[in-house]
Amino acid sequence: MKDIFVQLEFVTWQSLPVILFCVCFAAVVTIIESSFHMKLVVQNDALVPGFAALLILRELGAVVSALLLTSRVGAGLAAEVGSMKITEQIEALKMLGIDPVRFLVVPRFVACVIGGFLLSLIANLVCLYCAMLVSEAKLSYSSGAFITSMRAFVTFQDLVFACLKGACFGAVIPLVSCYFGFRCKSGAEGVGLATTNSVVVSSVLIIVLDFVLTFLFSHFY
Amino acid sequence: MQQQLALQDVTIDFGDGPLLKNVNLAVAPGESVVLIGPSGLGKSVVLKLFAGLLKPTSGKVLVEGKDLHALPAHEQSALQLRMGMLFQKNALFDSLSVGENIAFPMREKTSLDETEIQRQVDFFLEAVGIAYAAALFPDEISGGMQKRLGIARALALRPQIVFYDDPTAGLDPITSRRIIELIQKLREEQNSTIVTVTNDMARAYQLADRIVMVADGELIITGGKAQTLANKDPRVSQFIRGKLDGPLTGRHA
Ligand SMILES: Nc1ncnc2c1ncn2[C@@H]1O[C@H](COP(=O)(O)OP(=O)(O)O)[C@@H](O)[C@H]1O
Ligand SMILES: [Mg+2]
Repeated sequence: MKDIFVQLEFVTWQSLPVILFCVCFAAVVTIIESSFHMKLVVQNDALVPGFAALLILRELGAVVSALLLTSRVGAGLAAEVGSMKITEQIEALKMLGIDPVRFLVVPRFVACVIGGFLLSLIANLVCLYCAMLVSEAKLSYSSGAFITSMRAFVTFQDLVFACLKGACFGAVIPLVSCYFGFRCKSGAEGVGLATTNSVVVSSVLIIVLDFVLTFLFSHFY
Repeated sequence: MQQQLALQDVTIDFGDGPLLKNVNLAVAPGESVVLIGPSGLGKSVVLKLFAGLLKPTSGKVLVEGKDLHALPAHEQSALQLRMGMLFQKNALFDSLSVGENIAFPMREKTSLDETEIQRQVDFFLEAVGIAYAAALFPDEISGGMQKRLGIARALALRPQIVFYDDPTAGLDPITSRRIIELIQKLREEQNSTIVTVTNDMARAYQLADRIVMVADGELIITGGKAQTLANKDPRVSQFIRGKLDGPLTGRHA
């Protein structure tokens, strides 16, 4: 139980700065790019806030945070479990009759699912707020106009789905990392390989899962 | 006499030919067996077979007369708690301090209260001579101290059977000698059965009631120092004298 809180702090709180930093930049790029293209194609950028919000909530917020979480938490987890494997700590647990999966994976799994949910929530809100600030500064929208335009495209439901996506992506990370960690071959090379593999596989799975979830959620609109 | 540990017709194969082939070995209660042999030929595997960490491809592992892998999980785990192991790579929990490493098995597996656990931890730290390092972490202490800590943790649940996998590897001769003396002292105090892997022949003679060489998928059972020195098997005589020519090619090392 105590372990879950320690892990949750590591997964969520300590990932927050890097994730917020990146989603803010993503927001800026989204606004500026979509305004540029809208002006090019339909000669006005009235739909920018709506489009940007849609893009952020449906894809960017959850996926960008999950990919960052993979490289930070997933890599660390694979290296940690991998080095426990090659230094025989896993076997030491087994000899004490402790199931290493229960002992190591379960707290991290719970922390990553909750953490993925919370991070997606915070990342999306901050990203939207950031998009609004940029629109104010660069496109001279008032915040009221931004929100009105946004509300025409997205609803509260989008935010809920984004958080659910975050939780699902969060679940992928510890499962994949621990899988590669437990199968780690001896030597520093083995740990490196386990880490690389777990980041690559988690990232690919997150992108694929994003497609599947987007498809599933589309039935609710 | 009832055997405390036994391998019966054990074969183990990790997929590239059998590492051990139909081997037999019995260890009596209170006996001290030392495993020697070229590296990579299965000394650690023998310990892990006894400890129930590896399952033989065929054959039986008996602990206190019971077939380890035929038992229900809770009985198997109860037998495992009667065994302690110093792992070759120490297997110290690197997120726990020195003291917590010793406390861990007691916290997980006994109902002792915190003051009693602390008393036991102090006792073991004192016994292996690293009391002053209790608050440090495993990566902050020297190799010899890590071995001592590994020994203390292996003994924390006062096991009847103790496995020591290469307890003196990488240690200077004086520290090696101290570690072996520590192992002997603890063995006498607890009256335990021990199986030790070492290739330090001087320490092997010092410690062993019987020496067993692991090579070519076989267990070559010799005896005490005199019998080992007099053993006619060319692999044994080559190995204990460290000669370059002979039947052991060294291609595994
Ligand atoms: N769990 C395992 N899975 C696959 N191969 C293993 C396993 N444990 C040991 N081996 C292999 O068995 C061989 C003997 O290993 P080991 O018993 O550690 O040798 P040593 O005599 O040096 O202690 C090595 O080639 C090792 O790769
Ligand atoms: Mg070994």
